[in-house]
Amino acid sequence: MSQEKLMHYQVDPWNCYMMRVRRRRMEEEDEMERVMRIVSESAVVIFSSSSCCMCHAMKSLFCGMGVNTMVHELDQDSKGKQMEKTLMRLLATNSTTLPVVFIGGKLVGSMDTLLAFHVNGSLVQLLKQAGALWL
Amino acid sequence: MASQRIGELDFSEPYGIHHRINNPSSSLINDQGSGFDFGELEEAIGLQGVKIRNDETKASFFTGKPAATLEMFPSWPMRFHQSSIGGTNNKSGGESSDSALSSKNENPFEPESPLSKKASSFCSSDQLQHLQLQQDMTNNNDVIKTASSPKSAHEKLQRKGGGSTSDNKPLDAKTLRRLAQNREAARKSRLRKKAYVQQLESSRLKLTQLEQDLQRARSQGMFMDWSGGVGSNISSGAMFDMEYARWLEEDNRLLTELRNGLEAALSDNEMRVMVEGYLCHYDEVFRVKGVTAKADVFHVINGGWTSQAERCFLWIGGFRPSEIIMMLIQQLEAVAEQQIMGMYGLRHSSQQAEEALSQGLDQLQQSVVDTIAGAPLVDGVQQMVVAVGKLANLEGFLRQADNLRQQTLHQLCRLLTVRQAARSFLVIGEYYARLRALSSLWASRSRDQTIITSDENSCQTTTDMQMLQPSHNHFSSF
Repeated sequence: MSQEKLMHYQVDPWNCYMMRVRRRRMEEEDEMERVMRIVSESAVVIFSSSSCCMCHAMKSLFCGMGVNTMVHELDQDSKGKQMEKTLMRLLATNSTTLPVVFIGGKLVGSMDTLLAFHVNGSLVQLLKQAGALWL
Repeated sequence: MASQRIGELDFSEPYGIHHRINNPSSSLINDQGSGFDFGELEEAIGLQGVKIRNDETKASFFTGKPAATLEMFPSWPMRFHQSSIGGTNNKSGGESSDSALSSKNENPFEPESPLSKKASSFCSSDQLQHLQLQQDMTNNNDVIKTASSPKSAHEKLQRKGGGSTSDNKPLDAKTLRRLAQNREAARKSRLRKKAYVQQLESSRLKLTQLEQDLQRARSQGMFMDWSGGVGSNISSGAMFDMEYARWLEEDNRLLTELRNGLEAALSDNEMRVMVEGYLCHYDEVFRVKGVTAKADVFHVINGGWTSQAERCFLWIGGFRPSEIIMMLIQQLEAVAEQQIMGMYGLRHSSQQAEEALSQGLDQLQQSVVDTIAGAPLVDGVQQMVVAVGKLANLEGFLRQADNLRQQTLHQLCRLLTVRQAARSFLVIGEYYARLRALSSLWASRSRDQTIITSDENSCQTTTDMQMLQPSHNHFSSF
């Protein structure tokens, strides 16, 4: 009896662990799906925080270009933290990098990437392709 | 008279025996020879109320007094009389101290009610109460004839025996009042002194704290001329200044190379290598700025490392890309139409980016101001913490601004040919050299105006202008 019990304890931790990993992966996938769903709803989607000033700068940039953006305030979202984590994973970075912008459902990146695209002219191209900007 | 002298000594230096409060009774006894403050005695007695009664040495205290002193302190006539007899009757040591106390108590001329109250707090003997009753009844020094207890009779005798004090009796009232006032004044002075000393101590602590804060603040905001040869105390700002100076030297060297390469009409590949090297040179300064900003963002963003004229036209810790592009459009020659269009487009994009970053920075400033202004007057620590957290975003803005500058320069190189790119770098370098020359000119101009006459001044400025002229022509050669 005790032998079986021993084995039970030996095997089960691994199972527990695997269960936990699988559950987390499923949650992550759910999150990712959610994010993907959101970004496909509009040509330009910005994930931002209402108190963040860099997010304000990004919003002003698009406004200045005459582009309509859909802004998703993560601090006003109940699942905001998890979405932020998903975005961090997408960007392959460990630091909080709001704002994050998606154009045409595809990830563009944070503010520095956006500025780089804007300066070399590819931003306008992307926007036109996504239908957010008409010349 | 010797007695008078001693008395004067005593009254002139109440502070001299200030410390005696804390000394045990024995030292009181020892110090008694040089002077004697009754107030001290009272307090000492208060501290050692019980001891006094049982202390045989107290007797010697009283007996040891010279007769002369007796005359000076008629406020306690009992005690003096006491001691004169106590010298002959040592056995009554305990008694004498008691009666001394009681005599103090029953002195009708003593206006100090606190004194009598103190004395009453010392001992709770019936004797004392009895004597106080006597005090109430009597009004005169001689009235202590109402001797219901053997003690009082003893005292009466002592009083009579104290013939040496007889000539002082008429002065008793005035002297008593004077002595009492002196005692009060001495006590007040002591208290004031204590308060003053405490104030000094607290101020000293505050001063040391302020000095520490000042040191810390200085080390953070130090400039190169301060840090100079100080070893490990060099702040990040000062270090950045040194690095920037080194970068400028390297910049000059590279620009000279480019100029020589253009004049020598090197091949495109070689020029391209030089242009790429120059771009890396600029990438380096942006990288160092980024690193320094993590430690000291204000130094970088306020342009403490730039010359005065440069600082005037600073935008988020550096040049405004659209302005540089505009200058290039105007100054560069032999540029194709398409390239000019491209440059206008680049200028337009960078203008939009600059506008966006400026608006973001404005919002940050507004947010910080609101946080600080809205803090309560008392204990607004939390708001300060929040404000500090918001200020941390400054680094992000500086980074984005430098990123914009870097991207603009790279894009510029992509738009232009290699030679045009080299020429544009030379134009930019020349522009900044002139800005720095302008700063030093301005500084020397304000210096000279105070010293040299106006004629000489104008001479000096014209020669400087002539110095600039050739480089202007140099510009047009591009």
